[in-house]
Amino acid sequence: MAKSPPVPPPSSPVPLDEKRASFEREALVHLDVLYRVALRLTGNPADADDLVQETMLKAYRAWDQYEKGTNAKAWMLTILRHAFINEYRRRTRHPETVDVDSIEPYAVFPEVQDEDPQGAFFDRIVDDEVLRAIDQLPEVFRETLVLSDVEGMSYQEIAGILEVPVGTVKSRLFRARQLLQGKLYDYAVEMGYIKGTPA
Amino acid sequence: MNCRECVEHLYEFLDRELTPELEQEIRAHLEDCPPCEEQYDFEELFLKFLRARCRTQGAPAELKKRVLRELFGE
Ligand SMILES: [Zn+2]
Repeated sequence: MAKSPPVPPPSSPVPLDEKRASFEREALVHLDVLYRVALRLTGNPADADDLVQETMLKAYRAWDQYEKGTNAKAWMLTILRHAFINEYRRRTRHPETVDVDSIEPYAVFPEVQDEDPQGAFFDRIVDDEVLRAIDQLPEVFRETLVLSDVEGMSYQEIAGILEVPVGTVKSRLFRARQLLQGKLYDYAVEMGYIKGTPA
Repeated sequence: MNCRECVEHLYEFLDRELTPELEQEIRAHLEDCPPCEEQYDFEELFLKFLRARCRTQGAPAELKKRVLRELFGE
């Protein structure tokens, strides 16, 4: 099997303090983002800590390959996701055995249009409840929704991180949002925040 | 642009992921169509709500220390 060509050494080695300064400026500032995404992927704080730690180490080691000033956030999230798939998914969560395309989400707006078109019931749902609902989404929907709706990444950026076409990001995001809305709506009905339509 | 098409593109519109032409068509439709505008407001509110609820948490201070220690030996 042919070996991949060796990476050419940088023309001038970067001094260590300069490397550290640029890493702090461009990479470490995304620690909160990496942690939030790691937490939603692994589902528990201890694994999220380890995953972020490992991502930072890998990123620092590979820092010379990163083209400064481009998109460190996306670059690091890609590293994080690879590390998650290779080392954590196996022992934390299992990849879906259900066919996510067969999940039929329903639109919530028509349900609440008459009673609460402004969606005031959302305001009564607390952080933990929203995060719990996100954690129940199938992984492919969860990761897409978190990158987009929590971390504000573009379809193009998400497509790059997840290594899927932009059209896939779009359709997953659509379904993820509908599914999540459905879960939150069901919860709101259950809690009496909204009357809901009798089944 | 009819209501079905408008609703189909609503998320892309909210995400600012449409071409300027399509974006303009949606905007025009929303101005003329109260039900679609109502749904637009609802979806916009949902996305703002989601972001607000999920961004309160950051990395624990202990993790930051651990990362710095590991990377730079501090
Ligand atoms: Zn309409």
